[in-house]
Amino acid sequence: MAGDPSRPAAHPVAGNGKPAQPPSPAGRSHDSDGTGEGGTEPDARFTFANERTFLAWHRTALALIVAGLAIVQFLPPFPGIPFGRHLLAVPLIVLGGVLSVASYLEWTRHQRALRRGEPVGVSVLPRVLAIAITLLAVAAAVLSVLAPASGN
Amino acid sequence: MPSPVPPGPADDIEDRDPGLARERTDLAWTRTAIAFAALGAAMLRTNAVAGALVMVAGAAVWGLGQLSARDARAAGRRYRLDQRRTVQIITATTTLVSVVALVLVLLAPARGSR
Repeated sequence: MAGDPSRPAAHPVAGNGKPAQPPSPAGRSHDSDGTGEGGTEPDARFTFANERTFLAWHRTALALIVAGLAIVQFLPPFPGIPFGRHLLAVPLIVLGGVLSVASYLEWTRHQRALRRGEPVGVSVLPRVLAIAITLLAVAAAVLSVLAPASGN
Repeated sequence: MPSPVPPGPADDIEDRDPGLARERTDLAWTRTAIAFAALGAAMLRTNAVAGALVMVAGAAVWGLGQLSARDARAAGRRYRLDQRRTVQIITATTTLVSVVALVLVLLAPARGSR
């Protein structure tokens, strides 16, 4: 137990500083997130935050997928460059699928760290996303320059 | 306050109302459902069936979020729904959608024959 209530505990329980709210209600599962990781029940706020992060990654993945779809559906083909649109669209959609699975793994990792009171650590996903988007932006710029200005 | 209490978690509004975190999560679910629906709408133009299915998936995601939030509320703002299962369902849905989108894109003409 954290002795000093004014200090942020390394692993606080729900209702920190509120004795009216019991930190661990009796008869309730201590594995409410279903991870089966053991440890102690994390603060509900941290569990919610982890879930929001997961959902935010999924919205990012969906945005990448919809961008890939839009490139093929709404963009006229680059004249003289067959599969030019596919060159941009396929990596975007694949990245969306990869982010979906990777963010699930991250959610699991974060939840385990929360249960054990360990540091959550740094995720590699932002770096992966930044590099991928930079590369795609370069590819898009190159395609735009290479394609003749006439279009259709 | 007679004793000098340094600002800490006790001054955090979340300590007075932890339901705010639940509400933010609820809103995040809604945004995610809208993202699914928007993707489905964008897909309608290429493949009406796939687009409609993704839009239905968006509605299902919204329902899942409501279920999750309601369970959390019923449990006194603590999680009772098997969160891992919920997260797995969303992951599977997004991965499936990306595969469908990939197939649609690969079927598109390379040169745009019009």
